[in-house]
Amino acid sequence: MMLRENILMALASMAGNRLRTFLSLLGIMIGVASVVTILNLGRSVSESISESFEIGGLDTVNIMPMGVARETMIFTEEFAYDIAREVDGIKEILPTVSSSANVRNGQEIISGVQVQGVTSGYFASNALETSDGEFFEAVDNINRRQVCVIGAELAEELFPEGNPVGKYISVFRRQAKSFLVLGVLKERDESLGSSYNNALFMPYNTYTQRFRRTDQVGTYVVKVADGHDATVVAEDLERYLNQISGEDYYRIFSPATIKEMSDSVMSTFSIFLAAIAAISLVVGGIGIMNIMLVSVVERTGEIGIRKALGATPKQIRSQFLVESVTLSISGGLIGLFIGTVLSFAAVSIAGWTLYISAGAVIVSLSFSLIIGMFFGWYPAAKAARLEPMEALQRE
Amino acid sequence: MSEAILLDGVTRFYEVGDTTVHALDGVSLAIEEKSFTAIVGPSGSGKSTLMALIGCLDVPTSGRILIDGEDTSGMDDDELAYIRNRKIGFVFQHFSLLPKLSALDNVSLPLLYRGTGSRERREKAEEMLERVGLKDRMKHRPSELSGGQKQRVAIARALITEPAIILADEPTGALDSATGREVMDIFHSLHREGHTIVLVTHDQKLASECSRMIGIKDGRVEYDAS
Repeated sequence: MMLRENILMALASMAGNRLRTFLSLLGIMIGVASVVTILNLGRSVSESISESFEIGGLDTVNIMPMGVARETMIFTEEFAYDIAREVDGIKEILPTVSSSANVRNGQEIISGVQVQGVTSGYFASNALETSDGEFFEAVDNINRRQVCVIGAELAEELFPEGNPVGKYISVFRRQAKSFLVLGVLKERDESLGSSYNNALFMPYNTYTQRFRRTDQVGTYVVKVADGHDATVVAEDLERYLNQISGEDYYRIFSPATIKEMSDSVMSTFSIFLAAIAAISLVVGGIGIMNIMLVSVVERTGEIGIRKALGATPKQIRSQFLVESVTLSISGGLIGLFIGTVLSFAAVSIAGWTLYISAGAVIVSLSFSLIIGMFFGWYPAAKAARLEPMEALQRE
Repeated sequence: MSEAILLDGVTRFYEVGDTTVHALDGVSLAIEEKSFTAIVGPSGSGKSTLMALIGCLDVPTSGRILIDGEDTSGMDDDELAYIRNRKIGFVFQHFSLLPKLSALDNVSLPLLYRGTGSRERREKAEEMLERVGLKDRMKHRPSELSGGQKQRVAIARALITEPAIILADEPTGALDSATGREVMDIFHSLHREGHTIVLVTHDQKLASECSRMIGIKDGRVEYDAS
C-alpha cells in the first residue's frame, strides 16, 4: 500500500543529493558491472568454442590406433564391424588412413598435402558437397581406381586457371602416381580435428594397396546414432578397446567430450572470477549502509515528525528499507548497463559474438536487492527505534 | 461533559548522570471535551514534558493517562502511534513541516500512515487547506510560504484526522505578533466549532485568552483557574 509512496520518497531523496547518491552507488555499480562483464565474456567464449566444435561434428568420435599397435594386427578394416557390434549407439564407422605427400600438376607442386584414404560413405556422413564434379563411389574403392577428390584451396593452387575435374595430377610417394580428379569440395569453415580445404581424398583401398601399403587403419571415424550422447559412446568405446588392446595402443578424440571439458572449465573459471568480483558488491553494500546511516542521523527530525503524525516503527523501517533497496537496485541497473556495454566492447575487439548471460542479469539484480535489504536493515531499524520526543527535539 | 484527557498521579523522572530529574512529579488533572485549556509555565517547569505525555510522544514513569477514554498505560509503540494518529493533532512552535513535500502532501501525511487511499487523501487535504485559507498555496513547499502560512498548513495537518484533541506547543512562538494573533484567532474559531484544544505556552497573556489556565511549576500543578 505504501510501497509506491516509499519509492517516490526514496527517488526524491536520491535526486535531492545527486553527487552523494552517485558516490554511494559507485561501489555497487562497479561490483555489478564486473560480475556482469565476467559472466557475459565467459558465456561468449564458451559459445564460440562450442561453435568450432559443432563444425567439427559433435556426433563424431575418432579412434586413432598408435604405431605400436601395428604388430598386434587388431586395428584392421574388419575390426570396425566388431566395434559396431559391441558398442551401443553407433550409426556407422568409417575407416580412414592419411599421410602427407607432395602433389603436382604441370609446374605447380604443392608439398605437405594431407592425403586421405576414405570409403565412399565418408563424404555423405561428413555432409561434404562438391562445388564441381562428383565423389568417387564404392565401385571405385573395390577396383582400387586412381581417382581423387580435392579440397577447394588445393584445387585453387594446383589449377590457377580452373576446371580441375577430368584432369590428372601426380601424387608422390617414393614414386609419382597419376590420379584423375573427379570432384572439388565446396569450401568449408576450418574446425578442430578436421581440415578439408587443403586435403586430397582417394578411395581407401587405392590408398592401402596402391599408394601406401598398410594393414592398420589410421583413424576410425565413428558416427554416433541419433538420440545417443557422443560422450557416453566415447566412454563405452574406451572401455571396449581397453579390453581388446590396452590403453597405450590407441587414442580417442571426441569433440563432444572436449567440449564438455572445456564448458566445465570455462564455467568454473568464470564463476570463480565472478565470485571475486562479488566481493566488490559487499564493499558496495557497505557504501550504501554508510549513506543510510548518515541519512538517518540527518533526518532524525523528519522521523520525529512522522512519528508524531502516527507512523509506526514498522512504517518508518519500511520507508528506510525501501530507500536503501531503491538505491542498491538503481546502482545494480546502472552496473548492469555498464557491464553489458563493456562486454559488448570486449567481444567486438576479440571478434566473438556477444552472448548475454541470463544468469548474470538475474544474479546481479537479485544480489543488489539482497545487499540493499541486508545493509539497509540496520540503519532502518535504527530509524524505527528512535524515541519520538527525542527525535522531534533534534529537529 | 466527559473528559478528553485524564491524568492520574502522573510522574516522569529522567536519569541524568547520577541524579534523577523529577520533570513531572504527581500530576492529576482532567481536561474536558470541547474546552480550550492553556498549560502555562516557565521553561524547565515541566510543561513540555506534560505536553509530550498528553501527546503520547513519551510514556510516564508512573501514573495513568487516558486519552478520549482510552487508557494508554502499558501500550506498546504501535498502539501509541495509533493513538497519536487517531486522537491527537499536533501544532508545533517551529511548524515541523517536511521541507521536501508540498503543502498538500504535508497535510495528507497523517492519512498515509492510516492507510487511506491517495485520492481520498488528496481530497481531504484540499478541503483542510481551503478551510485555513490556503487553497491557492497547495502546491507550494514550506520554504515558499510565510511563517503564518506555514503554521496554517500545520493546523490543517492537525485537523485532517479529525482528532479528539488539538495539542498546540507554543504555536505563536516563532511568529510576529500580528500573525500570532491570526493563528490564535484560528484556534478560537476551532474552539467555537467544538474542538478540544490544549495550548502549551509560557505566555501568560496568551493563556488568559483560554477558558481554563493550568499553571505548572517544578513538575507540579501550581494553579488551575477557569
